[in-house]
Amino acid sequence: MRALAAWLQATHASHTIQTVSWVIPLLQSIHILMIGVVFVSSLMICLRVLGGVRTDEPFAAVWRRFAPWMWAGLVLMAVTGLTLVVGEPLREFTALSFWIKMALVAGGVAGTAAYGRSLARLALPGAGFSVPARAGAVLIIFLWLAVIFLGRAIAYDREVWGSLSLHA
Amino acid sequence: MDIAPFVQAIQASPPAEWMRTSVKAMPIVESVHVLAAATVFGSVFVVDLRLLGLIDTARPVTRIAREMLRLTWVAFGVAVIAGALMFSANAHTYVVNTAFRLKMAALLLAGVNMVVFHALTYRTVDSWDRSNPVPLPARIAGLTSILLWVCVICCARWIGFTKGYDFSIPQNTHIDFQF
Repeated sequence: MRALAAWLQATHASHTIQTVSWVIPLLQSIHILMIGVVFVSSLMICLRVLGGVRTDEPFAAVWRRFAPWMWAGLVLMAVTGLTLVVGEPLREFTALSFWIKMALVAGGVAGTAAYGRSLARLALPGAGFSVPARAGAVLIIFLWLAVIFLGRAIAYDREVWGSLSLHA
Repeated sequence: MDIAPFVQAIQASPPAEWMRTSVKAMPIVESVHVLAAATVFGSVFVVDLRLLGLIDTARPVTRIAREMLRLTWVAFGVAVIAGALMFSANAHTYVVNTAFRLKMAALLLAGVNMVVFHALTYRTVDSWDRSNPVPLPARIAGLTSILLWVCVICCARWIGFTKGYDFSIPQNTHIDFQF
C-alpha cells in the first residue's frame, strides 16, 4: 500500500495538487459543504421514517425531495475525496480512520439506496414504519456520524488510534 | 481597546489547557465542530433554496423554516461551543489570523442578513408564504445566505492551513487505544 502511495504521490497530477497551495483547502472546503448537503438530506429521510419531520407528506415525496441532493452531494464528495487521495496518498492510505471510513461510506450508501427502494412504495401520508425500518433509520444516522468523525480523524490517526494507527 | 489581556485570560483558562494537553480532545472537538457547521450549512441551504424557488415550491416557507431552523439552531449552538474550545487553545494565534478574521466577518454578515430578513421581509410572510417566486428581497436574502455560509466554511478550512501553530502530540505523552 505504501508502494502504491509512493507511486501515486510521484505522478504529475499528485504533484500539482500538492504544490498549488489553494487546491487542497478548496477541495476540503467543498467536501465539508457537501457533508452538510448529504448529512441533512439523509437526516430528513431518516427522520421522516422515525416520524419526526414532514409527516404530512408521503415518504416517497420526502425521498424524491432529498435523495437527488444526497446523491449529487455524494458524487461531489467522491470527486473531491478521490482528488484529495491523489494529492495526499500517504496521509490517507496510512490512516486507519481512512479505511474504516471507506467501509462505512460503502455501508451508508448501500443502506440508504436499499432504504429508498424498499420504502418509497409506502406512499401514504403519515404512514408509520415498522421497528426494523426505524432501527435502520437510526443506524444510517449513526453511520454518517461515524463517517464524518473518521474523516476528520484522518488528520489525527495516532492520537485517535494509538498503537493501532497505521502511521506508527 | 486592548483585547490582549482578555485573549490571554481565555488562553490560560482550564478548558484551553485541556484542549492543548489532552491527546484526544482536539480530534473529537474538531470533528464535532465540522459536523455541526456542516449541519448548519445543510439545513440553512434547504430554506435558502426554497426562497430561491429551486425546491419545495409547493410547501409554505414558514413550514420549511420551522422544520429546518430548529436543527440549524441546535447545530449552531454545538458549533459555537466546539469552536470556542478550539479558539481558546490558541486564542493569541487565532485573533491575528486573517482567515479567522474573514470567517468571523462572514459569520457576522450572515447574522446581519438573517436579522434584516426576519425584521423586514419575513414580517409580511403571510402574504407570500405559498408563493413562488417569493418577493425579491427574500430571494436576495436566500442567495446572500448561501454565499456567506460558503465563505464561512471556506475561510474556516483555510485557518487550518495558515494557523501557524502546531497541534502535534504533546511531548512525553503515552498514547494508546483508549476508546
